[in-house]
Amino acid sequence: MSVDNGPLIIGFLCNWCSYAGADMAGTSRAAYPANIRIIRVPCSGRVDPLLIVKCFEEGADAVLVAGCHPGDCHYNEGNYYSRRRFALLRALLDFMGIEKERFQVEWVSASEGKRFAKIVTKFTEEMIERGSRKAS
Amino acid sequence: MGSDFTQQIRDKAKELLEKGTVECVIGYETGSDGFSARPAFIYEPAEVERLVFDNTCSHNLVKYLLNKKGKPTAVIVKGCDSRSLNLLLSEKQIDRDNIFIIGVVCPGVVEWGWNNRSDQLQIRCNWCRQHNPVIYDFLVGEPVTEGPPDDFADIAAMETKSTEEREAFWREQAEHCVRCYACRQACPGCYCIDCFVEQLDPEWVGIRIAPEENLMWNTIRAFHLAGRCISCNECERVCPVNIPLSLLNRRIEREVLGLFDYRAGMSEDAVAPLITFMKDEKLGIGE
Amino acid sequence: MSRIGVFVCHCGTNIGGVVNVPEVVEAARHMPLVAYADANKYTCSEVGQASIRDAIREQRLDRVVIASCSPRMHENTFRRTVAAAGLNPYLLEISNIREHCSWVHSDSKDATAKAIDLVRMAVAKVARHESLLPKQVGLTKRALIIGGGITGIQAALDIASAGHEVVLVEKEPSIGGRMSQLDKTFPTLDCSACILTPKMVDVAQHPNITLLTYSEVKEVRGFVGNFEVDILKKAKMVDYVKCTGCGTCWQACPERIPSEFDMGLGSRPAIYIPFAQAVPNKPVIDIANCRYEKYLKWKETEEGPEPPQCRICEGVCPTEAIDRSQKDEIITEKFGAVVVTTGFKTFDHSVYGEYGGGRYPDVISSLELERLMSAAGPTGGEVLRPSDGSHPKNVVFIQCVGSRDDKVGRPYCSKVCCMYTAKHAIMLREHDHEVQCYVFYIDVRAGGKDFEEFARRAQDETGALYLRGRVSQIYQEGKNLKVLGEDSLIGRPVEIEADLVVLATGMEPSDNADLIAQKLNISYNTYNFLIEAHPKLRPVETQTDGIFVAGTCVGPRDIPDCVAHGGAAAAKVVALLSQDSLTTDPLTSIVDPMKCVGCFACKEVCPFNAIDEQVTRDKRTIASINESLCKGCGLCVVACRPGAVNLRGFTSQQLLSEVLTLVRG
Repeated sequence: MSVDNGPLIIGFLCNWCSYAGADMAGTSRAAYPANIRIIRVPCSGRVDPLLIVKCFEEGADAVLVAGCHPGDCHYNEGNYYSRRRFALLRALLDFMGIEKERFQVEWVSASEGKRFAKIVTKFTEEMIERGSRKAS
Repeated sequence: MGSDFTQQIRDKAKELLEKGTVECVIGYETGSDGFSARPAFIYEPAEVERLVFDNTCSHNLVKYLLNKKGKPTAVIVKGCDSRSLNLLLSEKQIDRDNIFIIGVVCPGVVEWGWNNRSDQLQIRCNWCRQHNPVIYDFLVGEPVTEGPPDDFADIAAMETKSTEEREAFWREQAEHCVRCYACRQACPGCYCIDCFVEQLDPEWVGIRIAPEENLMWNTIRAFHLAGRCISCNECERVCPVNIPLSLLNRRIEREVLGLFDYRAGMSEDAVAPLITFMKDEKLGIGE
Repeated sequence: MSRIGVFVCHCGTNIGGVVNVPEVVEAARHMPLVAYADANKYTCSEVGQASIRDAIREQRLDRVVIASCSPRMHENTFRRTVAAAGLNPYLLEISNIREHCSWVHSDSKDATAKAIDLVRMAVAKVARHESLLPKQVGLTKRALIIGGGITGIQAALDIASAGHEVVLVEKEPSIGGRMSQLDKTFPTLDCSACILTPKMVDVAQHPNITLLTYSEVKEVRGFVGNFEVDILKKAKMVDYVKCTGCGTCWQACPERIPSEFDMGLGSRPAIYIPFAQAVPNKPVIDIANCRYEKYLKWKETEEGPEPPQCRICEGVCPTEAIDRSQKDEIITEKFGAVVVTTGFKTFDHSVYGEYGGGRYPDVISSLELERLMSAAGPTGGEVLRPSDGSHPKNVVFIQCVGSRDDKVGRPYCSKVCCMYTAKHAIMLREHDHEVQCYVFYIDVRAGGKDFEEFARRAQDETGALYLRGRVSQIYQEGKNLKVLGEDSLIGRPVEIEADLVVLATGMEPSDNADLIAQKLNISYNTYNFLIEAHPKLRPVETQTDGIFVAGTCVGPRDIPDCVAHGGAAAAKVVALLSQDSLTTDPLTSIVDPMKCVGCFACKEVCPFNAIDEQVTRDKRTIASINESLCKGCGLCVVACRPGAVNLRGFTSQQLLSEVLTLVRG
């Protein structure tokens, strides 16, 4: 891991809304901490729970999944499925000792660049406060 | 109960085999320890005397139907087992036309091991709310009134622990796990040709037997059963190192029940909660 | 072994000002499988692109990572760049170190460390990229238009004139739609029939248009360019080859049924054309109401009294065109594109108890007034009260009936009512100078060319009294109606004795709009209006490629908008059909037949019906992807527990590689 100081956060962002929202954060120079590493996926519905669990089992401190707001999915329905899937996964992970705060799901539209920056900032600060999973 | 149920099952099995309705009856017979039941595959009418039904009939025989595709087969199911029949029907793994279901109103099954009998009911029977089969062609026994809704006390107890304690608990369990996959083999919902755990590309789970890899296996095994687990608890019963898998399964089951008011395997045309959705539901995700 | 080339862009100072680019290049050189790494001032410039092309050739690179701006910006540009050097364009991965890094982080050390990570992830992913080839599929150069109103007519004519075959399906016996029911049109007051009828005739006479009236779409299969549609042709009981449309039959038919076209204000025979200028101008027999058909039905059971036999039409027809042997028939046709123009119906005002709930004969809808005003209507163009046939002198108009009203579940504005009411006020005055009109309104919405002037004209020239407010009650008093309302501008109750009340009923989608949408796999909103692919930028497209929507089935709009909309849809269809083959995006799902267990969870979640069932040689039923329908969302991949489905471009292997590279460092 090359995040020397602070938590490693992995972000899965849907191409159409949230990835574009993160781009928007860039174009509007809305700064946020550099801990997050973003992986582009076509849809939040493409994010396999296997990937999330793998992130945590391999020592990531937190995972953010972001997709289009419900109703705005580029593929009409993808985020409705991910909403259900992650509601269950979050409960299971928490039960197994990965606090639900470490696995966050957010809806970010392509125009919400500033909001994306805010979400990441808050999330990173929370994770710094909680400390690294490896250290605990 | 035992001898009466046994006789009814034998009579029915004999009739089905004689008429040629089915090629095989999957039921229980007494094992070589002289008391505990084991699965029996009866092909000849003359053999039906081998069949028994008693409170050691633990196995979920539905799993064996997956090897009988396309062949008319009768199967003996308890309440919980019958739900897995619905699960497999809804997932198009078995063909209703080829199956004759002998449902048994389950009196509960006891804990037993090799040469080791007890009178104590298995834990699954404590939370069981499905003594009556939900699907059958022939019913053995009188339907009983089911108990009040499950309070998931075991889950609540676990949740009183701190996150760190829970993490430590599961890590310790993972250290015991030898990844023998007995849990998977016993589970009627686990029928993938290539289980994710054994796939090499993508290699989701490393081949080394280490806590991280074992946790990955156990987490995803449970999650792949989200909204599909029918609480027969065979996985936990067969676990050689006694990992309390029911806690994982039932944690998800409680969530599925609470969020979607859904119990797996209650009807053969049910749509599992993760492959459907409602637009306006509030699930505490992204809100 | 792969030879990966990494090209890091300075983007002037946009990246280079924060990220230490030389450090990233140096780090990249040591990443697994990387054979070459270099930096560019501006990678997207021609110089930058040329240096990539040269490096691919000189260094024999077989995969490329470009660390620069967002892939949403230049992915296509750089795909062309690598393709120009002979690489498959899909063997490229973009690492976003500008929008996601240099622009949002100011600490050079952190940003550089992150950029290195992002490049490493891209390298790991590109190593798992595969060469992909877009597929070419053929297409049928024919269009289906569902609904023969003005929108459908316009679309049909435009597509047909561009040289493509068109089948126009209309459920009624004639095309023309709602516009044919109108008397005059706002704001020009030209006669609706006079401008519509020539277009209807053009449709009938166009060599490229096949008109299927009295027909409905039953089922739609296939995908863009290759739809297969089952069309139900209802039995007309008249042989259209023999029939000359002379009219002898419908004049002789003794049966009388309320005319749908005249909104029940007039009647029609059982063998009929809906209106005089109908296209085709040939009748159909309304089987449910024909005396002889009723007799035939009775004969099957002989229950109840024997109805009279009739068959007068058969007797009088000079060409023996009546053909009672006709049966409903389903035909299957192939199309490359479909345009849905199923139009609207007016809101049923009987839910408004305060307006009489449909009990008072002299409370009519605006469309009923249109029929009363029409010279071809049931009263020959004289506006007469339905109750006693007298000439109304005091006429009250009530706006927003079934529009802008949450109470009846219609919060939207129907857009045309303000204008047609102004038209009605002007026309009524023209019919009879003694008429006084009162209009209860919420706002007068007159946005449109010449609309405001027209609305003013109704108020200023014809003396129509516009009262801002709602009507609270209408009740019958003697021969007349008492209208109680409020003029909210002066804050006083108003009471008007009216001879006639006209309700400006709003628009709602035609019956079964939702069913048609389901057949076509397109979306519709809670009111059953169809949903366009994008409300602004793709107004006539839908989420399903090759299916287009136009006119009032999408939302309330007036005639000029409908014509423009129909033309817009036609332009899209023509653009589609003018291609010789369609190129499909190769970033679709694929199924590994050896792993598929046939549970079809994938099919359950696929929003695009792109999953088919297929039987293998060993008799297993497994899933297969229709690559023309697949849009690459990947929902199926996650639904698939055995991992039999994968998504090209975002394979499980690729995503896992990115994760592992990151966490294992």
